[in-house]
Amino acid sequence: MITKRIGLGNNGQHMLRRHLGLLLVTWVTAVSAQAQTGPGYEDILQGFADPERWLTYSGDYSGKRHSPLQQITPENVAQLRPLWTFQTDTTTRGRGFETTPLADDGVLYVTGSNNYAWAIDAKSGRAFWQYRRNLPNDLTYGASAPVNRGFGMLGETLFMVTLDAHLLAMDRRTGDILWDVVLADYKVGYAATLAPLVLDDKVIVGISGGEYATRGFIDAYAPATGERLWRFNTIPGPGEAGSETWPNDPEILARGGGGTWMNGSYDPELDLIYWGVGNPNPDYYGDQRPGDNLYSNSLVALEAGTGKLRWHYQFTPHDLNDWDSNHMPVLADIGWQGQPRAVVMVGNRNGFFYVLDRVSGELLQGTPFTATSWAREIGADGRPIILNDGIKGCVPDPWGSTNFMPPSFYPDLNLFILTARETCATFVPEAPQSAPGQANFGGVVFIDGAAGSGALRALDVATGELRWEFAYPSPTFGGVMTTAAGLVFAGDHEGNFMAFNAATGENLWHYQTGSRIWGAAAMTFMLDGKQLVLIPAGTTLTAFALPD
Amino acid sequence: MTCKKKFFFSMLLQKLRLHKKLRLHNESRLHKEYRHNFPALLITTTMLLGMAPAWSQQSNPFEADPRAPYAGGVIFRAQCATCHGADGKGIASIDAPDLTLMWSARELSDNAVFDTIRNGIAGSIMPPHSFPDPEVWMLVSYLKSIAVSGTNRALAGNAELGRELFGANCARCHRVAGSGGSLGPDLSRVTARRSYAALVESIRNPTAVIADGYRSVLITNAAGERMQGTIKSEDAFSLQIMDSNQQLRGFSKTSLQTIERQLESLMPAFNPGMLSDADIENLLTYLQVQQ
Repeated sequence: MITKRIGLGNNGQHMLRRHLGLLLVTWVTAVSAQAQTGPGYEDILQGFADPERWLTYSGDYSGKRHSPLQQITPENVAQLRPLWTFQTDTTTRGRGFETTPLADDGVLYVTGSNNYAWAIDAKSGRAFWQYRRNLPNDLTYGASAPVNRGFGMLGETLFMVTLDAHLLAMDRRTGDILWDVVLADYKVGYAATLAPLVLDDKVIVGISGGEYATRGFIDAYAPATGERLWRFNTIPGPGEAGSETWPNDPEILARGGGGTWMNGSYDPELDLIYWGVGNPNPDYYGDQRPGDNLYSNSLVALEAGTGKLRWHYQFTPHDLNDWDSNHMPVLADIGWQGQPRAVVMVGNRNGFFYVLDRVSGELLQGTPFTATSWAREIGADGRPIILNDGIKGCVPDPWGSTNFMPPSFYPDLNLFILTARETCATFVPEAPQSAPGQANFGGVVFIDGAAGSGALRALDVATGELRWEFAYPSPTFGGVMTTAAGLVFAGDHEGNFMAFNAATGENLWHYQTGSRIWGAAAMTFMLDGKQLVLIPAGTTLTAFALPD
Repeated sequence: MTCKKKFFFSMLLQKLRLHKKLRLHNESRLHKEYRHNFPALLITTTMLLGMAPAWSQQSNPFEADPRAPYAGGVIFRAQCATCHGADGKGIASIDAPDLTLMWSARELSDNAVFDTIRNGIAGSIMPPHSFPDPEVWMLVSYLKSIAVSGTNRALAGNAELGRELFGANCARCHRVAGSGGSLGPDLSRVTARRSYAALVESIRNPTAVIADGYRSVLITNAAGERMQGTIKSEDAFSLQIMDSNQQLRGFSKTSLQTIERQLESLMPAFNPGMLSDADIENLLTYLQVQQ
């Protein structure tokens, strides 16, 4: 596949290489002793230990998106002002600029829509280099979701997935491609949009395309070579465990869906990866696939070394509403009924907030956080008691009660803070005709647009009860970050980037970015003694800080 | 030096891969052209016509075929409805437009709609589609069949009387052919966009359907002054209205004492005592001849 870097002084670099030849090699050797090498696995493992770094999608492996930085406080946040705005010149009308930048040594590594990417000077907002992938003109799922959620980073190497379902390794100093491997055939319906999860000796990625005749998977690749180390298929093969929840038909299993398009989290002590799995295919029509359809709409816990399934929990058995469970799983060690407990928390598209034991997968709690009429409680067997599958009208729309926009967990307050969408949709299933390379939802949905609204909601993890909320005018796709100073940063569909008091939900500051904040959450780090907060919106990435 | 060698070899490899890919790509295209995945009646057409270049330069081969809108509707429900809505009226939160209004609003040709389906819209989530040409034409036929239709017959009222009625009753808020007010929608070409019955309903009962941008609000500012207007835009912190004096005004919500959203349209309901059926016929005749 052809790749292309654009302008920004690359020609100069090539000239230098050509003319200085051997001389350059000597010089490079001389300075390399002092040269900064990029972050290693130990650094990512330390999470937020270095305040000047943000090294993985959520800032650390846990997915809490809770930074310890405390320069910006509830008292001074009202003075927050933009430092600079970076314009990407690439847009995805109908979706968003969904990335989380990585920060290291004063440089931001940012992926954008349509597989653009940049290294940006965090001081000035100016790019060192820009990368643009030359994409084929017959993209499938990637054409309808031309987005990307960020880089993974290890040492001097960046990892990025593409809309034509490749995984790239890139030199972070130049944007040059080091290797390029195919995850799956995009022509069938595959694409990739997430931020790779980088462990010590593995790059973990998932795949998009559950609306097409595809079969989802989670893959591990060797960082140095791109060699595939293992693959976990989210839809079992004939005779494999879980296949009893499907019809005995290899053709249906082979296109069973189960995309894995949102990032996962990692527990280094248990050496388990936690990842959400998407809808079964086709989305709304279930008559061809009687059964629970494992491992669709589930959270899976995989052994990092082998990709073997340790446990799973299915949130929405036999999904008929496109409620992918592709959410950021949030790992935390909390007090649970007087005892310390290692849990994983998920705010799900089906309208329930779940707390699970992350060692065993045992369900500790499942409570609704929207007015969903689909179900109001989870039965003793751990399954939802379904009241209305959507044919009877007014359940959450296919974008769900929340979606992949990251939530945040605030440990000291024991609050899980997420974006809630209140919507009303009626599903009309229809028998589909499946064809490779063509999306098929298996029916249509009527959405009552006037009934929609949104809210930022803080749930008490101990009970699942609503502690506070801030209402948005429309169903929102903005994500959430919290900081240990007692702040929540969130974005809404009208384009406001906002700060709230984490304990009370009081709005303390807002800035109109000019475009909806969609799928993205803020990140923060220290630069020259100053705390920066960044948010992508539309075609812009804006950095905020307190005045001098 | 190893680095440079690696770079050289990786470039060479990429080029080789590219050649292979191009070849594969062409093969799969051919394969795709001969796909037989749609109703049997299409197969022959697909084989005969599917490879003809520049289809969109030609007219819709199914223009007179009453089965085409039905077949197109089947494709629409499977391929388009998730973004454009089961009724084709669009989903605002993902910028998917109302397809029932596009024909009258933008004077679209069949060819332009064909090209948009085929090529997608760059920079948006509207993707290109590789359906065989006949299927795209059937979609065009379907979209035409659900288009909101205008007032097709030539109205026979008195346009001059209609002009006077418009000046007396409507022009303070509505614009026609460049003159009039701005509080309500511009009514130039409205008879081409809406049916006679829909227009009569809007005059008799304007509250029944109020478009975005014309919903009424009553606010009280910090000084205690009351102000009525239509909501042009709104977010969690601010409100943008056109007041009843047709001035655009923006407010921080915290600066307002009250925000009362009103279900009634700002437009008065014209009962037969105010405008008779004959008056409406004259009024709409005037609007029609203005086109």
